[in-house]
Amino acid sequence: MKLKVIQQRGLWWVISGILILIGIGSMVLSWQQFQAPIRPGLDFVGGTRLQVSLDCSVPDNCDGPIDLTEVRQVLESQNLGSSSLQLLGDDRQTLSVRAGDLDVGQRSQLQQALEAQLGQFDPAAIQIDTVGPVLGQQLFTSGLLALIVAFAGITVYLSVRFQLDYALLALVALLHDLLVTLGIFSILGLTVGFEANSLFIVALLTIVGFSVNDTVVIYDRIRENLSRTPDREMNDVVDDAVNQTLARSINTTLTTTLTLASIVLFGGESLKFFALALIVGFIAGAYSSIFIASTLLAWWRSRADRPGSPAASDPPDSSEPV
Amino acid sequence: MGFDAYSRNRPSNFLWAAMGKQRLILAAVLALTIAAVVVIVQIPTQLGLDLRGGSQLTLQVQTSEQVPQISDRDLAAVQRVIENRVNGLGVSESVVQSVGQDQLLVQLPGISDPEQAERLLGGTAQLEFRSQRPGTEVALAEIKRRLQALQAQQTLLEGSDDQAAIAANQAEIASTRSALAELFEPSQLTGDDLRDAIAQPVGAASNQWMVVIEFNDEGADLFADLTRNIAGTGRSLGIFLDNVLLSDPGVDVEYAETGIVGGGAQISGNFTAETARDLEIQLRGGALPLPVEVVENRTVGATLGRDSVQRSLYAAAFGLVLVLVFMTVYYRLPGVLADLALLVYALLTWAAYNLLGVTLTLPGIAGFILSIGMAVDANVLIFERTREELRAGKTLYRAVESGFYRAFSSILDSNVTTLIACAALFWLGAGLVRGFALTLAIGVIVSMFTAVTCSRALLFFTIGMPQFRRPALFCPGLSTVNPQPTSQS
Repeated sequence: MKLKVIQQRGLWWVISGILILIGIGSMVLSWQQFQAPIRPGLDFVGGTRLQVSLDCSVPDNCDGPIDLTEVRQVLESQNLGSSSLQLLGDDRQTLSVRAGDLDVGQRSQLQQALEAQLGQFDPAAIQIDTVGPVLGQQLFTSGLLALIVAFAGITVYLSVRFQLDYALLALVALLHDLLVTLGIFSILGLTVGFEANSLFIVALLTIVGFSVNDTVVIYDRIRENLSRTPDREMNDVVDDAVNQTLARSINTTLTTTLTLASIVLFGGESLKFFALALIVGFIAGAYSSIFIASTLLAWWRSRADRPGSPAASDPPDSSEPV
Repeated sequence: MGFDAYSRNRPSNFLWAAMGKQRLILAAVLALTIAAVVVIVQIPTQLGLDLRGGSQLTLQVQTSEQVPQISDRDLAAVQRVIENRVNGLGVSESVVQSVGQDQLLVQLPGISDPEQAERLLGGTAQLEFRSQRPGTEVALAEIKRRLQALQAQQTLLEGSDDQAAIAANQAEIASTRSALAELFEPSQLTGDDLRDAIAQPVGAASNQWMVVIEFNDEGADLFADLTRNIAGTGRSLGIFLDNVLLSDPGVDVEYAETGIVGGGAQISGNFTAETARDLEIQLRGGALPLPVEVVENRTVGATLGRDSVQRSLYAAAFGLVLVLVFMTVYYRLPGVLADLALLVYALLTWAAYNLLGVTLTLPGIAGFILSIGMAVDANVLIFERTREELRAGKTLYRAVESGFYRAFSSILDSNVTTLIACAALFWLGAGLVRGFALTLAIGVIVSMFTAVTCSRALLFFTIGMPQFRRPALFCPGLSTVNPQPTSQS
C-alpha cells in the first residue's frame, strides 16, 4: 500500500485549516472572557489555591463526602464568595479552593473556618499554592520568551543542516501543531474549565521539540533521496520519502503516546492535563509532518523550479549526511 | 533451514573481527551498567519538595524610598537576614538561594507549620542596639554558655534524621534566646540609624579583624548616650537582629565621660576575616530598610508527596512495560535487543541524575518518562531502516550496518532540535520548568549514547551467532532464503 500524500494535499490542508480556524474561534471567545487565548491558571494571573483533606484517623471525621453548600457558606462569610471550588478523590473528601491572592493571615483564617465547619484536616495532606500577580506575569513572560528562543534556535540549526526553506516550512508545521494544541485546550478551557499553568507552557515547548523531530526525519529522507536522484520530479521524491518513513512516524508516535497514556492513567492530578496536551501535540505533530510539511515542501520546490530553467533545481545540500 | 546457504556468503574474517570489537563494547556497556547500579544504590536520588513534602517560598525584596535599587550587596545582606530567620525555624536541610536581581528562594523540606514559616520570613529586618541591665553579668555568661552548647547539639542533630529531637532542641534554643534578650533593655537606637558596617583588619599586617560601624547624626547621639551609660561597668552593648543576639561588645572605661561620640565605632574581639565579614553582612542586612514579601508559596503535605511518587513510579513502570511489549511484538529479535538496551538506558539515566545531583520533581519525572519515548525513537529509526535495506536485498550484516549508518543523521538532527528546546526552557524557565528541561536533556543525551553503542553492539554480537542469523527474525514476511546479495554498497 502506498500513501499518495501529494495527490490529495488539498484535502490535508483543508482539514488542518478547519481545525485551526475552530481553535482560533475558541481563542477569540476565550479572549473576550479571560483576556487570554486560553483560560489562565493560578501561575499566570496569581491567586491562592488551598487543598485540604479530611483527617480520617480522627473518629467520625470521614463519614461522608464534603458538602459544597457548607463550604460556600464559609466562603461567603469570609468575603470569598467568588472563589471556585472542586471536590477531589474517590470519596470526595478532598477540597480544593481557588481564591484571589490571599496573604498568610487570610489564608489561615479561611483554613480555620473551614476546619470548624467540616472537621479536622490532615496536616500532612495539605497543599498550598500562592502566586503573586507580579510573579505570575513573570512566569508567563519567561515561558513565552523560552518559546521564541526555541523557535529561533531550531530555525538556525535547520537552515545550517538543511536549507532556509526547509527550516521555514518546518516552522510552519510547528506553528500548525501549536495552534491545534492551543485551540483544543482553549475549547477545553471553555467547556470543562481547564486552566493553563506553567506545565502547559512546558508541554508546548516539548511539542516544539518533538514536532520538529518528526518533520526533520522526513526532510532528512527527502534530502537523501534528492541527492541520489536529483532529476526526479519533486512530488515523487516527497511521496517516496513519506512512505519510507511512514512506519517510523507511526511507531514513534505510538510508543511515546503509550508512555504518555500511562501518565494520564496513573500520574497525579496535575500531570494528567500535561500528558494530554503532549498527546494532542504529538499526534498533531505526526499528522503535520506526514501531510503538511511534506506537501508544503513539494509545493514550494516545484513552484520555485517552474519559472526558471530545470537546472535551477539544485540538489539541496549535496554533502553526505553523517 | 536456510542459514547454511546464507552463512556461506558471509565475509567471515570481517565479521569475526567486528564481533570481537562488539564484544569489547558490550563488556564496557556491562561495566557501565554495573557502575550505574552501584551509583543508584550508593547515592540517594534527590527528591524535590513536591515529592517529599515541604514548603517552597519565593521572597520578593522590595525597594523603598531610601533604597530605590537593590544591588548584589544588598541582596546578599537580605539573604543573610533570611538565613538567620530560617535557622530559627529549625528545619534541617533548608536552602536559601538568591534568584535574579531581587528574589530569594527558600526551601523548607518537611515543614509542619507553613503558616508560621511564612509569617516569620516576611517583613523587614529589626536591628536593635540594647544595653545590658545592671546585675546580670553572671547570668549573661551562663546563658551564653548554655546557648553555645545547645547550638553545638543542634548541628549534631541536623546530621541525624531525628525530627522530634531537632524540634525539641530548637524550642530550647528559642526559649534560651528570649531569656537572653530579657537581660537587655530596649533602646531607641535601631538599624534605621546605622549607615554602614565594614569588616577590615585591625592593622595592615594583622590577622585580627574588626567591624567598623557608622551611624547617622541622630544615631550618633543615641549611641553616645548608650555607650556612656555602660562604659567601664563591665556590662555590654547587645546588638540584636530579629531579636537574636549577634554580638555583645563591652565599652572601655575611657568613654565613661562622653560616651563614644562622632557616630563611628569599631567592634573588635576575636574576629577572623570570616566572622568579621559575617557580622558585617548581618549588620548591613539589619540596617537595610528593605521589606521582604512572600510572593509565591508552594506547599505540599508529606503524604501527598509520597502519593505522587508512588503514582509516578507506577506510570513510569507501566509506560516502560507497554513500550517493551510493543517493541518485541513489532520488531521481533531486534525489538528484544532494543528492550535490553532500553533497560540499560533507564539505569544509566537514573544513575546520571543521582551523580549530577539532579533534584527530581514531578515534571522532572515526566521528562524522564518522555525521554524513554525518545530513546525508543532512535531504535525505531534504525530498525525501520534495516528492514528497508533487507527488502532491498542486502545481506543481513550489511543491512544492519547501513541501518545504523543511515539512521544516524536523522537521530542526530531530531535529538539536537529537542536539546535546543530544552536549552531554551532551562535557560529562561523557572523552578519546575527547569527540572523538566534538565531531566529530558540528560535523557536525550544518554539515549543517543545507548542507541549507537548498546543497541548496535548487541545487534552485531547477536548476528555473529549463526542461530540468530535469519533475516526473518528481523523482518517478518521476508523469505528465509535470501536472494543473492547484490553488489550495491
